[in-house]
Amino acid sequence: MLRVRGLTVGYGGEPVIDGVDLDLEAGRFASLIGPSGSGKTSILRVVTSLMQPLHGSVELDLDARDIGFLFQDDALLPWRTVRQNVTLGLKIRDVAFGDADTQADDWLTRLGLEGFGDRYPGQLSGGQRKRVAIAQVLALSPKLLLMDEPFAALDAIVRTRITQDLLDWVEREQLTVLLVTHDLEEAISVSDEVHVLSQGPRATIRARHTIDIPRPRNVLKVRRHPDFGPLLQTLWDELAGEVAEEGIAT
Amino acid sequence: MTAETQRSGSRVSTAASPRPGRTRAIRRALALLVLLAVWETLSRIGWLDPFYVPPPSSVGRVIVDLVTTGQLWPHLGATATAAFAGLLLGVVLGIGLGFAAALSPLVADLLEPVMILLNAIPRVILAPLFVIWLGIGLASKLALATILVTVLIFFAVYNGIKEVDRRLVERIQTLGGGRSVLVREVYVPSVTAWVMGNFKVAVGFAFTGAVVGEFVASSRGLGYLLQFAQSTYNAALTIALILIIMTFVLVLFAVAERLERRLLAWRYL
Repeated sequence: MLRVRGLTVGYGGEPVIDGVDLDLEAGRFASLIGPSGSGKTSILRVVTSLMQPLHGSVELDLDARDIGFLFQDDALLPWRTVRQNVTLGLKIRDVAFGDADTQADDWLTRLGLEGFGDRYPGQLSGGQRKRVAIAQVLALSPKLLLMDEPFAALDAIVRTRITQDLLDWVEREQLTVLLVTHDLEEAISVSDEVHVLSQGPRATIRARHTIDIPRPRNVLKVRRHPDFGPLLQTLWDELAGEVAEEGIAT
Repeated sequence: MTAETQRSGSRVSTAASPRPGRTRAIRRALALLVLLAVWETLSRIGWLDPFYVPPPSSVGRVIVDLVTTGQLWPHLGATATAAFAGLLLGVVLGIGLGFAAALSPLVADLLEPVMILLNAIPRVILAPLFVIWLGIGLASKLALATILVTVLIFFAVYNGIKEVDRRLVERIQTLGGGRSVLVREVYVPSVTAWVMGNFKVAVGFAFTGAVVGEFVASSRGLGYLLQFAQSTYNAALTIALILIIMTFVLVLFAVAERLERRLLAWRYL
């Protein structure tokens, strides 16, 4: 579904990532982990054309409209109601107004925000805003979902609940997902494969791991799976090695 | 799926009793009454020279006379016409030029120094020039009110567009929206917020422009009456006119505030 070849991305001609190859098959959940500044976000930005690469190519087996991008922050349009924010993408796609509203309300109900349609984002909590952002993206029925540390700003409980809700949906709909995170446990809990980026600048993929923990998964119980501990240790060592090589910390 | 507990909703309903506000209003009204009573008494017993500081009763009489004889209305009408027309023209020009400068670097290069200069100087110094160019009728005071408002709104719009939230722009782009969606969903609401945030100041500026324009040279309007009162050393009329202008501007502020709350409802939750 997604083929990245020799991707080099940088700012001001200086590569942040250099020659990254990445393949993502349909229906797989992949995570991209790496130290801060390793250019994880840049890869997602290139895939969604928010950014142009210096070199390399991105091939997609789908239309750009079938990509959903869940950002790190939950910037919703503050002057639009929750419902209007959710219908935004639908209306851009010319879904009739009444249909869009019905679909938006269905999504809000599904995400536990029934009756919140007429509120403004400023009236919601961080977790609720994140759910609206998820509804905004999922309402467009994306085939490929890109996520850039979407839950980083949430507290542990809210984060676990939203992650589980999203994971349930992804498993049911067999969505293809590329998640950028620096939370190793999160990466193992939700993914089929984890790609480890080296320390930037000129970061590249250093290791790839397949995670064969059966689905459906429970993000809390999955930590008790026998594979979880050793995988976490391996990822930890790889990342710590990266940071140590840079001479910052161990 | 479960929702997180809703934030206590403190911004939706503040359950404070109305008493503190009312008490404050009563205290202030009492203080004003005491001040007026002292002023009146001092004037009557001869401690204040009524030539310079006429008692409140004289000022009140002047106001009542202005209203009941109907003398006030043509002047108020003239000032209000110039101010409202200047406000409208200034807002339209300011938004137009602001958008043009934000979207075209060429326009920005040409306009920015002019606007910065006009913003830095007290723009009322242009009043005599407008009188020479446009005469003592509506045109010169309209021009002054317009230029005062235009510069203010220009910067509100220009900076508003330049500092528009990039995250919202990217959000629209990844949802598949083009330029027209961006303008409708992000730029216009952002600019509305910036303009409305400056609207009360703009109303004040429009009135300043109109009254100062009249003060410099005109044949009617509150500024003209003020000029007349000053040249005849009529302190009671001067104070009466100042009070009338203040009241009128305060009423307009209240209207502007309601408009702001309506247009920016999402901010006042």
